[in-house]
Amino acid sequence: MTVTLKRPAPAAPPTGAVSPFRHRLSAWDQKFSPYLYISPFFLLFALVGLFPLLYTFWVSLHDWHLLKGQGEFVGLANFTNVLQDRFFWNSLGNTMSIFLLSAIPQLIGALFIAAVLDQNLRAKTFWRMSVLLPYVVTPVAVAVIFTNMFGEDPGLINNLLGNFGIEPIKWRTDTLPSHIAIATMVNWRWTGYNALILLAAMQAVPRDIYESAALDGAGAFRRFFSITLPSIRPTMIFVIITSTIGGLQIFAEPRLFDPTDPGGPQRNFQTTVLYLWEMGFQRNNFGKASAIAWLLFLIIVIIGLINFSLSRKIASADTKKPGNRAQRRAEGKRK
Amino acid sequence: MKNFRFPAAAIAGAAAVALLASGCGGGDQEAASPDNPVELSVTTFGTFGYDDLYAEYEDANPGIKINPNNIDRGENARTDAFTKLSAGSGLSDVVAIEEGWLGSIMEVSDQFVDLNEYGAEDIKDNWVDWKFKQGTDSEGRVIGYGTDIGPQGLCYNGKLFEDAGLPSDREAVAELFGGDDATWDKYFEIGRQYHDKTGLAWYDQSGFVWNSMVNQMEEGYYTPDGELNIEDNAAMKEQFMQLAAGTEAGLSANEKKWDWGKGKAFADGSFATFVCPGWMLGTIQTQMESAGAGPEAGWDFADVFPGGASNWGGAFLSVPETSEHKEEAAKLAAWLTAPEQQVKQSAAANNFPSTVEAQEQLAAEAAPNELFNNAPTGAILASRAEGVTAQFKGPEDSVIQDKVFSPALGQLDAGTTDGEGSWNEAMKLLNELVVNN
Repeated sequence: MTVTLKRPAPAAPPTGAVSPFRHRLSAWDQKFSPYLYISPFFLLFALVGLFPLLYTFWVSLHDWHLLKGQGEFVGLANFTNVLQDRFFWNSLGNTMSIFLLSAIPQLIGALFIAAVLDQNLRAKTFWRMSVLLPYVVTPVAVAVIFTNMFGEDPGLINNLLGNFGIEPIKWRTDTLPSHIAIATMVNWRWTGYNALILLAAMQAVPRDIYESAALDGAGAFRRFFSITLPSIRPTMIFVIITSTIGGLQIFAEPRLFDPTDPGGPQRNFQTTVLYLWEMGFQRNNFGKASAIAWLLFLIIVIIGLINFSLSRKIASADTKKPGNRAQRRAEGKRK
Repeated sequence: MKNFRFPAAAIAGAAAVALLASGCGGGDQEAASPDNPVELSVTTFGTFGYDDLYAEYEDANPGIKINPNNIDRGENARTDAFTKLSAGSGLSDVVAIEEGWLGSIMEVSDQFVDLNEYGAEDIKDNWVDWKFKQGTDSEGRVIGYGTDIGPQGLCYNGKLFEDAGLPSDREAVAELFGGDDATWDKYFEIGRQYHDKTGLAWYDQSGFVWNSMVNQMEEGYYTPDGELNIEDNAAMKEQFMQLAAGTEAGLSANEKKWDWGKGKAFADGSFATFVCPGWMLGTIQTQMESAGAGPEAGWDFADVFPGGASNWGGAFLSVPETSEHKEEAAKLAAWLTAPEQQVKQSAAANNFPSTVEAQEQLAAEAAPNELFNNAPTGAILASRAEGVTAQFKGPEDSVIQDKVFSPALGQLDAGTTDGEGSWNEAMKLLNELVVNN
């Protein structure tokens, strides 16, 4: 590229005095225009990503009232206050609990659905689209419907349980049932989505491996655990990381599960983002709300880094396998 | 050819930035007059009853188009208004403000138009004195026209009263609770009798009873000079313990407020009495509709309130400084809150007007309210409004109500703590959420 572009340069001198400038223009073009081309993304990111992030940090260092605006500079006082706040830790515990209750069943369910869809089914596209359907429904609608189902006094699920003589469950008042109810909303929405991603990975696994395994006498379960699972590990890691980030930022579902008291009257399902919201927009303390936002950001970064190092280990373990496979294939050819 | 690439790239880049920048252009200030089409947005909350009035105003003022937005509850309207205030944009041309968070708004009253500039002085005598004063800030700027007030009467379920051997006739009930000398002692005493006889609850949950009690006191959570006065307020704690004793005796149905089992609790006899500021009649109406219940549920409205006159809530219409049509907006706000319109609002939303003339008209008409066993609710509220005075509302009043006392009383309702424990929890929350926020 550079070679072809440089060639006309010697031809420039005949045009006279303009040439040094033009030459310089050309050089700048070489140097800067690639950056210019990719700049829209970075400009946008700076505007809606980096700037808010840094500004939030700036706010978190101040007394900052929602209505009255910027107050005194207080250093890290907001952070130390938040770290001593029992409701902050309560919200973190709730977030983690809801995250675990949703991520684990979700992953298992998605794997199962993907494995089923990976078989030779009739009307494949129909099944695949049906699995994605819950994802199309907005979280707010999901939350409204499930909130009705998990109602305490008149509630679909409690009515059903009542038919079997089971005492009504306090879905909103008790901590664990409320977490399960919210996790159910998350699972309903995301299991199918994750299943499709895992399905795509499964389809990329070479079919001949399954065939040879079957010939060697491996049953369906053995094939799933010894071939499918190891082959889709990188995709699994991707699914885990994205659901971690999403799970730690959960807001709409718990917010709508109790529209009157965000997070429940006794805060038994108040997640961290919900607490952040309460701090900023109900208690009007923007400084502390920003501190919560930054702490949550740091927590997500830390968990992300743990995920990253785990995934790197697994990826390096993976690279051996294709090698082995290639070797085996090569050996096969030699025979 | 290659030499043109730099400018081309520059143009492309610049165009992208320009596109972004031009997203927030516009905003030419158009003179507001009925000849120029002007769109006014109005944000209200709860059951406000303005829909027909909007249409009427649009008909009477060609060129005006009203874009109404109603938010389900006052607490959410507060979040909406505060968020937009802090963002510096997005507020409607006319914004309804609730008494409970008026204290916060007063701290930033310069963000609202001084209605004196649009003729507030000429109509100030329309309102009961204290209501107009509430909408005036410390510098004498009028930032809100009063819509309704919340004089409290007692809603009771006539059928349940009858079943329990209590009188069910409106006047007899007022007499039963002590008429003009009604006290909370008497209220809880009858409640205990009712509970002993029927095993049922007396009130839906403790929070609303507590709000009524506090709003009735001469000074609420704040002293008039803006100091918090809760922890060492013996009178307040005494009231609290009285309520707590009632709840511990089983008088609370532990219903979820603003939900009431989707309104079902109003229809199935879960509780027999309900504290009713004027606007609450509209809330009950909405709840009963959602539960598919009607007059047969047995609710009635008595001209009596434990502890005497009390005002809970009420609203104001304000025009924010960010409005692009301040004059038209102020005109609309004045029209909506004029006596004639307040009477119509009251008919639609079951709330009680804040202007003297409208109150007198409601009292004279004494129109029967079908949902409440044909009780003349307007006339009763007019009677309940006598002796009501304004209580000073501090900046954190609504937080104290919703985030401090509400959860503490919730524990009491659920039976997970006793009166003393509930009070201590409230004080702990007060220190965490308000004092050291």
